[in-house]
Amino acid sequence: MSLTVNHVSFGYSSRDGAAFALHDVSIAVDRGSVTGLLGPNGCGKTTLLKLMSGVLRPEQGTIALDGRPIAAVPRRELARHVAVVPQETHPAFDYGVMEMVLMGRHPHLGPFQLEGPADLAVAHDALEATGSAHLADRPYMTLSGGEKQRVVIASALAQSPSVLLLDEPTASLDLGYQLDVAALLARLNGDRGVTMVLATHDLNLAAALCGTIVLMRSGRVLAQGPTREVLTAATIRQLYDVDADVHVHERSGHLTVVPLRRTR
Amino acid sequence: MAAHPKRLILVAALMVATGGLTASGSAGVQVSGTERPAPARIISLVPALTEMLFAIGAGPQVIAVSSYDNFPAEVKALPKVGALLDPDTERILSLRPDLVITYGSQGELESQFARAGIRTFSYRHGGVPIVLETLRALGAATGHAVEADRTAREIQAQLDDIRARVRGRARPRTLLVFDRQPQSLQQMYVSGGVGFLHEMLEIAGGSNVFADVRREAVQPSHELLIVRAPEIILEVRAAGLLAADDVRRERGVWSALGSVPAIRNGRILFLSGDYLVVPGPRVAQATAAFARALHPEAFR
Amino acid sequence: MTTSESALPRVAREHRPLRARLAVTLAGYGALALAVCLLAPLVGSTSISLARVFDRSIPFADNVDAQIFFVARLPRVLAGAMVGAALASAGVVLQALLRNPLATPFTLGVSAGSALGAMLAISLGATVTLGPLSSVLASFAGASLAAAIVYGLATRPGRAMSTSVLLLAGVTLNSFFSALILFVQYMADFSEVYLAVRWLMGDLDVGSLGPIAAALPLVLAAFAIFAILPSSLNLLSVGADTAAARGVDVARTQRLAFLSSALATSAAVSLAGPIGFVGIVVPHLVRLMVGADHRIVLPASALFGAAFLVACDLVARTLLAPIEIPVGIVTAVLGGPFFLWLLIRRG
Repeated sequence: MSLTVNHVSFGYSSRDGAAFALHDVSIAVDRGSVTGLLGPNGCGKTTLLKLMSGVLRPEQGTIALDGRPIAAVPRRELARHVAVVPQETHPAFDYGVMEMVLMGRHPHLGPFQLEGPADLAVAHDALEATGSAHLADRPYMTLSGGEKQRVVIASALAQSPSVLLLDEPTASLDLGYQLDVAALLARLNGDRGVTMVLATHDLNLAAALCGTIVLMRSGRVLAQGPTREVLTAATIRQLYDVDADVHVHERSGHLTVVPLRRTR
Repeated sequence: MAAHPKRLILVAALMVATGGLTASGSAGVQVSGTERPAPARIISLVPALTEMLFAIGAGPQVIAVSSYDNFPAEVKALPKVGALLDPDTERILSLRPDLVITYGSQGELESQFARAGIRTFSYRHGGVPIVLETLRALGAATGHAVEADRTAREIQAQLDDIRARVRGRARPRTLLVFDRQPQSLQQMYVSGGVGFLHEMLEIAGGSNVFADVRREAVQPSHELLIVRAPEIILEVRAAGLLAADDVRRERGVWSALGSVPAIRNGRILFLSGDYLVVPGPRVAQATAAFARALHPEAFR
Repeated sequence: MTTSESALPRVAREHRPLRARLAVTLAGYGALALAVCLLAPLVGSTSISLARVFDRSIPFADNVDAQIFFVARLPRVLAGAMVGAALASAGVVLQALLRNPLATPFTLGVSAGSALGAMLAISLGATVTLGPLSSVLASFAGASLAAAIVYGLATRPGRAMSTSVLLLAGVTLNSFFSALILFVQYMADFSEVYLAVRWLMGDLDVGSLGPIAAALPLVLAAFAIFAILPSSLNLLSVGADTAAARGVDVARTQRLAFLSSALATSAAVSLAGPIGFVGIVVPHLVRLMVGADHRIVLPASALFGAAFLVACDLVARTLLAPIEIPVGIVTAVLGGPFFLWLLIRRG
């Protein structure tokens, strides 16, 4: 499915008085693409993801899924198409991995309906796809950071979404797990055609995974387009006040960003 | 009008707070200081002992009483200086007493007075013999030993008379209720097998259904009331007579326990008057009231 | 197993379907609750014979065994079952709402409000002039006031409730009301003080079905709301935004959770006073036994809570007979160490 953000503005003031807002943001996410939202902390990436998932409502503008405004889509139905992988997941109680993943089936179940064999099949499939099938009977709390993240992705996959929104998916992971998750996401996009939107400040992850990049600063879109066009030394300087070397890395084959010095 | 006069509450508080003190314990009256001239300015924090003071002729020496005192009539004009939980120490000291009658548990207060050079007479709660002992000790401490002894013997004679009248008669199993919220059977206080209420009941020819419980106060559950099955329920209240409507209503509340003989036979008796709940010189009067209620034929 | 199930990979099959687990668990806990409730009226400090209790040939007023059973013990057991189920369920729901396993039904000030209402009624002499019903009504009014204040502070129209505001408001209200209660006790007459202090320890000896019937509609209303919450509570306890992104109406779920637990708690406290520990020990014990899924934990806790409180009351009225231990003391003394032991075993 494709996702379109049309002239969306949103504002809420934080406790210290600074108003975080999105100003007239327009983004086009093509079906089957992997789009990266990049920008310094506070630029509005997370807010934008929440607007895309329907958790927040824009004050101006609309967000459309395959042309249909999501404001008109009932919550549950939207959840059957759009799934979110949050930055951190801290369940208050000691759920098992399978229980966590099965919670992703909620939008597909009726009010008093319990999960059936079909739901179990989807959940198992999601675990397999994320390489976590062997963790199914473990308590979630006992997993490592990387394993937890893969399970959270699995539980989002269990919603059978066509769009996956991820907020800093590799932020708290070790290098090895970062590679794992990146590879997983690439595979999901390649094999299943899941449209993805990633909010991240890891430039290299974005460069490796995303075909389209959206650069944001202070709630506005600075630039958007194909990665190689958008992710340049000039735009990085504009966004982060950092001089960086941007070139195609020989062995990996994709764009690599090496920060050099601050400009001020 | 709220039917919870302070005297009754004080007794209830005492029984619950000091629960477990047996009448067979020590006399528990202590007088600090050596032999001295009779005190001329007495302050009493204990209503029962205030009554004793007036009964033995020490009334003119009393200059202040507790907030819960209202007998005899003379105390109404006297200043009130607090009681067990809230004695007004400053006020007491400002009145320059030479003897203060305190509760046994008011140790701190007694030390304070001792430091100020004021004698204290420490009272401990107990059964009927304790009342008479206290009367005599108070007489010795206030220079009225002769009157005190005479009063004590009079009381004893009255008690013996009651005993004689009810001797040989069947002793009805009695529940003695001294604190109950109206219209409810939950959380009532009844007399256990210890203390002056219990002893008065026994002298009066009643058999306390909770005589086996070694506590002054018991809070029986519905089940316990049904099992103990008293033949007479004696409800004692310190203030005002109940109106006829209220009596009917309260009997109605008891009727939930239909198998209890006292309720089946309508033998629920309501007695009023603060003399009933004060372990002082009017115990004989109170015991007589109990006896008349339990054995009316013995008093014709 | 059906063909579609046997076609599942082994791992999926081994995760026993929720339906089966739910049925087995509820049947087990239901049997326990039923057994305890049927046995409890027969056991006590006095032995009674079931045959005599139901012997129609003896007039009820003469039948001591029947009197003990129907007037003294049965109302107690029914009250205990209702209060135990209400407090345990309210505990589960509040722990999910506040995302905190240490929350109790009394965390948000509902019990303190209830206590204040009852204290005021007792010390203003309302119970003297208007009877015990006045303290029940006053305690319910107090509970509602406390709940309304907390709710008003933590709710924004259309937005999710702030759980931190909820917690802070509840804790503050608890402290404030507790101070007021102490003040009321200080100013009150002695017998009222003792009555008040005793009330705070809990008492299930209601003596008739009347008070139970009065509290029943409130408890049933609370349970009607409880019935629709569990799967939303699961999602909510993983994260509010994630739950919203999965189709849960977070604001509505939070409000219903708050309302239903406040209703159940205030009904229970108005009937029997604040009986502590049931609302935290039972949910934890149940989670340790059946896992964290609220669809099982909530009904199982209700049933186990009923059994637990009735059993505690049984101990309270038999251990030191004829002296009765206030039931709130028994729940604390039994619940606490047992819970610790279970935790130590697990760790």
